[in-house]
Amino acid sequence: MEAKLAHYRLSESEYDRICELLGRPPQGLEWALFSALWSEHCSYKSSRRHLKKFYSQSARVLESFGENAGVIDLGEGERLAFKMESHNHPSYIEPYQGAATGVGGILRDIFTMGARPIALANYLCFGEASTTIMPHLVDGVVRGIAGYGNCVGVPTVTGQTEFHSSYNGNILVNAMAVGLFAPGDPVVTSKAQGVGNLVVYVGAKTGRDGVHGASMASESFAEDSEKKRPTVQIGDPFYEKLLIESCLEVIGRGLVVAIQDMGAAGLTSSSFEMAAKGGVGLKLFLDRVPLRQEDIGPEEILLSESQERMLLIAQPENLKAIQEVFFRWGLEAQVIGEVIEAKEVELFWGPECLVRIDPLLLTDNAPNYDRAHQPWHHPHRAESLNDLVASGPSLKSGDSAWVEELKGLLASVQGCSREWVHHQYDQRVGGRTAQDAHHSVASLRLADSDRALGFTLGLRPYLMRFDARQGAMDAVAYPALELASQGFLPLAMTDCLNFGNPENPKIMSEFVASIEGMSEVCRELDVPVISGNVSFYNETQGQNITSTPSTGLVGLRNKVTSGPQGRWRQASDEIYILSLPMLHCSGQWAEWAQSSASLKGWGEIQAEGVKGLIQVLLELSAWEEGVTALRPVGKMGLAYTLARMGLESDQALGAQVDLSNWTPQGCADLKGAQRFLALAFYETLYQMVVTVKPGRGDELEEKLGHWQQSLSSLEWAHLGQVEESGFLEIRDHAEVLRLSVDEMQDIWRNAWRNHFATLA
Amino acid sequence: MKAQAKVSPPKVGILRFLGTNCDRDVWQAVESVGLKPEWLWHEDHFEAKDYSALILPGGFSYGDYLRCGALAARSPVMQSLRQAVSRGVPVLGICNGFQILCESGLLPGALLPNQGGRFIDDWVELTLENSKADWAPQAVGSSIRLPIAHGDGRYFIQEEGLKRIEDQGQIWWRYKSNPNGSVADIAGVSDESGRVVGLMPHPERALWDWMGGVDGRGFFI
Repeated sequence: MEAKLAHYRLSESEYDRICELLGRPPQGLEWALFSALWSEHCSYKSSRRHLKKFYSQSARVLESFGENAGVIDLGEGERLAFKMESHNHPSYIEPYQGAATGVGGILRDIFTMGARPIALANYLCFGEASTTIMPHLVDGVVRGIAGYGNCVGVPTVTGQTEFHSSYNGNILVNAMAVGLFAPGDPVVTSKAQGVGNLVVYVGAKTGRDGVHGASMASESFAEDSEKKRPTVQIGDPFYEKLLIESCLEVIGRGLVVAIQDMGAAGLTSSSFEMAAKGGVGLKLFLDRVPLRQEDIGPEEILLSESQERMLLIAQPENLKAIQEVFFRWGLEAQVIGEVIEAKEVELFWGPECLVRIDPLLLTDNAPNYDRAHQPWHHPHRAESLNDLVASGPSLKSGDSAWVEELKGLLASVQGCSREWVHHQYDQRVGGRTAQDAHHSVASLRLADSDRALGFTLGLRPYLMRFDARQGAMDAVAYPALELASQGFLPLAMTDCLNFGNPENPKIMSEFVASIEGMSEVCRELDVPVISGNVSFYNETQGQNITSTPSTGLVGLRNKVTSGPQGRWRQASDEIYILSLPMLHCSGQWAEWAQSSASLKGWGEIQAEGVKGLIQVLLELSAWEEGVTALRPVGKMGLAYTLARMGLESDQALGAQVDLSNWTPQGCADLKGAQRFLALAFYETLYQMVVTVKPGRGDELEEKLGHWQQSLSSLEWAHLGQVEESGFLEIRDHAEVLRLSVDEMQDIWRNAWRNHFATLA
Repeated sequence: MKAQAKVSPPKVGILRFLGTNCDRDVWQAVESVGLKPEWLWHEDHFEAKDYSALILPGGFSYGDYLRCGALAARSPVMQSLRQAVSRGVPVLGICNGFQILCESGLLPGALLPNQGGRFIDDWVELTLENSKADWAPQAVGSSIRLPIAHGDGRYFIQEEGLKRIEDQGQIWWRYKSNPNGSVADIAGVSDESGRVVGLMPHPERALWDWMGGVDGRGFFI
């Protein structure tokens, strides 16, 4: 019995629960069904009770959790479906196929709803570049994303790539897809309905690949993970492209009652979930499932995770039309069952009924654990900014060696350009891309309404290592600020909650604190979480990853081109810093300067403050006669952000910045090098760099004064000018950092190739 | 396409193969200049007289399995396309469409995997070498900026063939800075008549300022 439980990855208490629900021990195929549907991956058994805390409803939300993807209303008849999902374990074992099928799976969640996929993004976390295997994983993952996304013709327009030793044995590959419903396009769900309706299998034939994939994803990695290769699926983007076009055609013509992707746990999860959601039963003939090879048995058919397959429910009179559409696109549509009145799923093999079971036993009655966790206490605290600076690491390059310090950040694997990655993705197919991955916010034109959709990912893992609650709040707040600074009203979000072992109370505490932190900001900003995914057991040989709840936010702007950019625009523009200080921390610089250092911080993110700042940014970005650039001070602090604004500018513009008159809250006692370090390399959440056209400074200050009446802690200072000098110069009393933009360009753009010298 | 558009039927046929993925983008481009696009399915035949121009959009026809464009070049619709070419209908192949025209022998040369072996998405500058093509007539030597996005864009032709297309003015566009290892920096070529043309860059992705450039518009007007 122990061996059987281990094989099906069920615990003893779960076995007892199954016996209780059935009134007898499980038999035959039932073992496989419970194993798949009660896996962490399918049942969310450790997370369900906490996911309910998410702020998930607003007037815009049309579909939320429970469907393949969430849907929001954009107005003017346009609606948007989007979701993010992980493919971490498969990508470590086989990086190309793991990443490729991650893209394929998330696309199916989108077009299953009837939305045309219009954009992709990826959130990737790798281990240290210097480890033997990492260049191979980086290369494989990027090639896999490119190989799949480029071929299906959906542009990959934004992304985030992180590196840290905690991912050495367990990389993260999260893919997000966005789909658009044009005015008049129907939204379909996965609720099976209508007794007598047909169950139709479409797409690729079923093979042995990915059998038990869902339960694999619900386990920690051991040393033998290489042996799990057979559970990795192989993707075919050409097939997916045909499936996109044919499915959108049958959905658009109203030929489909319900449809669902065969994702994790394949036919099992799609059929049982469709039946459970629709409150009906299904009769399925497993021997009618199209097979790649003849010797595949019923259990493998049920659990296969072969890619590019869909299950749809249709009225019998529409079958011929459906088959014609799929045939035209070179695909088959095979009837494998029907909807029945009894609320049971019946699985047949020829005339023999192998299983007859109430689908709710496997779905709604799955275990729902309250894993041990503690209330959140804020770790790594400093008492003041002085304390923070005094206890932090010293400069890596020596006293006042500011130039070397900034060069070091630009050359670091965390800080260097990601061009090598983005150039491998088709960023423009579809004819909608207005801002590609070179911008912090990607944007796409909505053709029917001539508006723009903004799209960006969030979560800074170094903040999670500092304080999970603060890091998770920032995962909503920071991308929302990025959107607002370019005039996009943040509308909604998706997430991918990557965590270690939930049976470890420390990890579970971070998980709960993350959800609560994110939800608090979401509620305040009215940015509902409309879809998402949980990936637990990101643990290899006892080492847990940094808790990484990545996010994807979308925003809307009424004009396609407008608003400030996140880079210098023209010489003589006046540079200002704008600050609403909530949390000060030694930031990503500290981790880089001293790899063993833990970040420390002082203060806390306030959701209400973030909301106020977003309002300021939306108004500022709409002031087109005045504002030219607007960008949050991000990772690695002010000096690095100012450098990036020059590096991304069209003519390698420089800037002359003097911090001497800038004494923000908490900095009054700092002097000399300590002061420069705190102002230019530490991070204060949240600060913005703003530029206005020459002569518009007074108007800006007048506006800021007005906004300060409702946001009393708002601070600002005039810092200097954008210049054609070709140099970035940052001064503070006697401290000076002066570096040529060309030299920075050279360092920043070539560093990637130095870190990954073995890759072409 | 300018001259033909006024005297011939105004429809522009857009060929769709299984795996074509820039078809809607090209449709948007054709519509945006006031012409009427129409789909031509890979299994269908059509009458040359119904079209003022034909476009083969980019994508991954048949998944790029076998050589890129090899399967599409043998589709039924290509028989009609050949007839249309013989009747003087202008034909433009973009990216995978260019690969298909080379595979079908309507254009000289072949497109091989990029030097470096990676897909490249970027903006490139191009110089017009010959303006006898019906598409995008401009002054020889003028420069434009267009996006590229391809894994197999390295133009190749044997020395003898290169000399021939150079002599006959069949080199259409050259890259200013060669992104993929193409022979003689070639980005686009034409047939001997100048009526059938192909290029790797994507003019349909540079129609409006918000796309980052407008130099592609000239290809469709």
